[in-house]
Amino acid sequence: MSAAVMFHPPKHQIQRFVEGELSAGMSVALSAHMEFCADCRRTAGAAEAELVAQWNAKEALQSPADLTGILDAITQQPQERANTPSTPVSRKLVVDDQVISLPRVLAQIASAGLNWKTVSNGIRSAKVDLDTDTTCEFIHMQPGSKAPQHSHRGNEVMLVLDGKFSDEMGEYGASDFVIRDPAHRHQPRTETGCICFSVLDSPLVFTEGWLRLWNPIGLALFQLTRWRRRKLI
Amino acid sequence: MNNLSLSLDRFSMGFMVLPESRAAHTPKSDALVTRETDSDEDLLIAVGNRQDRIAFNTLFARFSNRIFAMGMKLTRNEQLAHDLVQEALLMVWQKAPLYDLDRGNAQGWIFTIARNRCFDMLRKARRQPACVSADDIWPLEGESGELSTSGETGFQSVELSQVEQYYGQLPEAQFAVIEQIYVFDRTHEEAAELLKIPLGTLKSRLRLGMEKLRTLVGVEQ
Repeated sequence: MSAAVMFHPPKHQIQRFVEGELSAGMSVALSAHMEFCADCRRTAGAAEAELVAQWNAKEALQSPADLTGILDAITQQPQERANTPSTPVSRKLVVDDQVISLPRVLAQIASAGLNWKTVSNGIRSAKVDLDTDTTCEFIHMQPGSKAPQHSHRGNEVMLVLDGKFSDEMGEYGASDFVIRDPAHRHQPRTETGCICFSVLDSPLVFTEGWLRLWNPIGLALFQLTRWRRRKLI
Repeated sequence: MNNLSLSLDRFSMGFMVLPESRAAHTPKSDALVTRETDSDEDLLIAVGNRQDRIAFNTLFARFSNRIFAMGMKLTRNEQLAHDLVQEALLMVWQKAPLYDLDRGNAQGWIFTIARNRCFDMLRKARRQPACVSADDIWPLEGESGELSTSGETGFQSVELSQVEQYYGQLPEAQFAVIEQIYVFDRTHEEAAELLKIPLGTLKSRLRLGMEKLRTLVGVEQ
């Protein structure tokens, strides 16, 4: 993770991250990126300071009648005198014969165990269920593999955890935060192998029971199948 | 020990002023009395260092509306926003001794608590999986900020006289804390009260100061 990070989340997204307005999946991707990106941490710090300075009450809270009761109830609780040490989570992720170190938040998520499934030749993915607004998965691309060309309805974020991949628009290395919006059609490929964390906003809803295909690569397969069918007809 | 404290006198002058004594527990009838002129930081320190109820009431009055507004914006649900006010302020009370002046102002600290609490509450209300929490996403830097026991023992093997020459190289704030704990042998609580800093700040300054001293000693040897 020592190489310079070249691709970052845009400022407005960092702002929404700090506000707590992003989905859990997207927040996880930003948090993981920031663990290795001092620039974005600074941006987030500045955004938070600004937000706090502007923090005021737009809607007045009707003081509950039993305010005194609430205060009493609270101040009778014991205080924490020391940080409760969080249970240490292993940062290691083992994929085949490869061992990589994960950002803290992803290590936490992966600690429940990952279930890898082959999506296409040389490409596997392990979905993690974080929320209903996004589809999140770890993606492992073996050296020399290529994802089918695809586009998607929502924004897709690929956070590079290890190795490199490239597409029509550039090459991405460790900690790069790559955003592809619905207008992009792209085909990720890798020479040396790559492990990513991917977040797809607004999951695709298939009415035909193709639930397994609701990830970007799955969608591409779905489109391919449809195209082949059309050709046959 | 005597020699050491004498040579340190120029540092300690400002810190020996005892604070006016205040009753640790305020009677319940004062529940809605507030202290409007104090800064948020002073109030939070009073809550953390001596469970000051009046200070807490003042913080409650200052922040409940703001937290409610945040809750409405993020949840668009009045009931959840109400719950947020209570849960976030409960957490402010519970975690006040951990507040660290060196890591930002009280408003920012309370903002972070409220936002994180809101994030977790909303996930729970939407029945989303509990595999990730707000504190994983927005980690506090140096969260495991406690001085490790092994480190403390390691330091004791160094002669005090030997350490003396390094004291001057410490930032004054860290020096003052180390002096209170190791020279005057005060408890963390007493030292925080004397220096008028939050317990959390005291602990982090102590840790940073000891780390620095250890590095200085190590470099020399």
